[in-house]
Amino acid sequence: MSENVKKDILLDVQHLKKYFSTPRGMLHAVDDVSFQIERGKTLGIVGESGCGKSTIGRSILRLLEPTSGKVIFDGQDITALNKNEMRALRQKMQIIFQDPFSSLDPRMTVSQTIEEPLKLHGIIKDKKQREQRVLQLMETVGLAERLYDTYPHELDGGRRQRIGIARALAMKPKFIVCDEPVSALDVSIQAQILNLMEDIQAKEGLTYIFITHDLSVVNHFADDIAVMYMGRMVEKAPSEKLFENPIHPYTQALLSAIPVPDIHHQMKRIVLKGEVTSPIEPKPICRFAARCPYACDQCMHSEPEFKEVEPDHWVACHVKG
Amino acid sequence: MEKDTRPMLEIKDLVVEYRTEEETVQAVNDINLTIRKGKSLGLVGETGAGKTTTALTILNLLPETTGRIVDGTIALDGDPIITKDSSGKSVAAKTDVEMQKIRGNKVAMIFQDPMTALNPIFTVGDQIAEAVQLHQKCTPKEAEKRAEEMLELVGIPGSRKTDYPHQFSGGMKQRVVIAMALACNPALLIADEPTTALDVTVQAQVLEMIKELKEKFGTSVLMITHDLGIIAEMCDEVSVMYAGSIVEHGTLEDIFDRTRHPYTRGLFNSLPNIKDRTARLKPIRGLMPDPSNLPKGCAFADRCDYATDRCREGKPTKRMLSDTHFVDCCLYEDGKDEDRL
Repeated sequence: MSENVKKDILLDVQHLKKYFSTPRGMLHAVDDVSFQIERGKTLGIVGESGCGKSTIGRSILRLLEPTSGKVIFDGQDITALNKNEMRALRQKMQIIFQDPFSSLDPRMTVSQTIEEPLKLHGIIKDKKQREQRVLQLMETVGLAERLYDTYPHELDGGRRQRIGIARALAMKPKFIVCDEPVSALDVSIQAQILNLMEDIQAKEGLTYIFITHDLSVVNHFADDIAVMYMGRMVEKAPSEKLFENPIHPYTQALLSAIPVPDIHHQMKRIVLKGEVTSPIEPKPICRFAARCPYACDQCMHSEPEFKEVEPDHWVACHVKG
Repeated sequence: MEKDTRPMLEIKDLVVEYRTEEETVQAVNDINLTIRKGKSLGLVGETGAGKTTTALTILNLLPETTGRIVDGTIALDGDPIITKDSSGKSVAAKTDVEMQKIRGNKVAMIFQDPMTALNPIFTVGDQIAEAVQLHQKCTPKEAEKRAEEMLELVGIPGSRKTDYPHQFSGGMKQRVVIAMALACNPALLIADEPTTALDVTVQAQVLEMIKELKEKFGTSVLMITHDLGIIAEMCDEVSVMYAGSIVEHGTLEDIFDRTRHPYTRGLFNSLPNIKDRTARLKPIRGLMPDPSNLPKGCAFADRCDYATDRCREGKPTKRMLSDTHFVDCCLYEDGKDEDRL
């Protein structure tokens, strides 16, 4: 990292690990991951099912307790906080979930859902004022006032995701983990929600972690992109750089696999062999080596280090790094 | 030998409804669709556009209590599936037993979710062999051998035929489903969002495989998807579906380079541009109309930037803009092929 520019870091994650015990041994869901996010920026985390991207998001908010490592939020190590302190801090750190069909309580109306956190945290005590704030939030996320008393089942996926966003915004957070927020939505609705999230970020100065498997969405949405593979971060760079010059063989394969909606697009597709396996008791070798077209002897014997190969461009690879 | 270009599938004026006590859902509204032998057609559209209903109608698998074929005919390789009786009513041309012989034999379907398409209590080998034995005269031994060959064909070691579905990953299960679908060399393969549940690198593998098989066996493919990227890669022709109608149809070049319908354009504009990452997305405003209460005019009018009173008053007149390019939009009622968006 260039030392001469002082960056305004909101979130600093250091050596984060989250292991799960399974009958077959320890599953290293997130294995020694470190990264930083500047205030007001978006970090996209991409990878395939089971790579640990959602576990990172949840561990940062301590919805899952990290096995080890530090999460420093706005200068404060939140892994050292007790339950009550953490609860208070969560006002500043929110999450939006993938599935707007299961993340809302079916027995609560739109307004009750958005109001609940305001009530729980005792932010606005006065009922009238609280109503005002709910209406204001509904307007921010583009929910019509007539939907105030409707239930989630009466609404489509796009509107439900808007409720999730309004609820997250209710606490005036600084930071939101967006876990596949548009994956369940149709493209025309997806674009509406992405634009909404962009506008809110610009207005409120929010910092996002944007977790997704959709590379074209993350390219559009994030300032920096981190690529995960079997619990490890294998590459991280500013979005433009990552798409123009992917270094890690996995990133290259991932980018080449995106079906591009342009019939004149020419790209050599790298088709990988095999599939991702679970990182249960992983050996200290490169976790991608078994599927990697460039794997050499060294890859089968030691695990590559996550290094900065160019300014702001980090890669973990023996061969290309 | 001259190439056979007769239609493999021909759907004419098809109208399908779902009727319940409370409402009538107009799922498919007067669509026409033709796939020539060895060609692949992409059917693209968003949730609720009627894509899957169209596929189910071809196989005569509509839910019995609610699904109604109101009008239209369907022919498969020149053989009628849905036909008109003497009074002009659309009726099934085949008995249930006859249809069973067609499904899985002449036409096979791959569903979106491989996790639910396989029976968890039988080995994958037995499940593929079952399909073979149902349709072909062969001994159980031969069927088993065929199952093994099919697994090898989709890139799974034949020795894994004795494994159960839960022992396979998602991508492998989808390969098993594809192996089963192809076991009887179908002339038409209907793939309903075959890779939506898969990761991108696995999706790439499965798409490559379907492409290879299509080349090798000359199978016609109906590819149902919401992903224009997959269409660009896999199909010869495209039909864009909206609220039960085909609003635009043409060759890949017609749809991607000479986009004419405002909805098709809207779909393209909603996608992030991989070459210009900072370009703001242009979503289509609003939502698809309630299919149980479609407007009397153009179903897209409420979301369309070009809509006029004409669009709201009555259905657009369908027009061919060229020999291959069809559009269902009031903007082109004079039949001139020029970009009006």
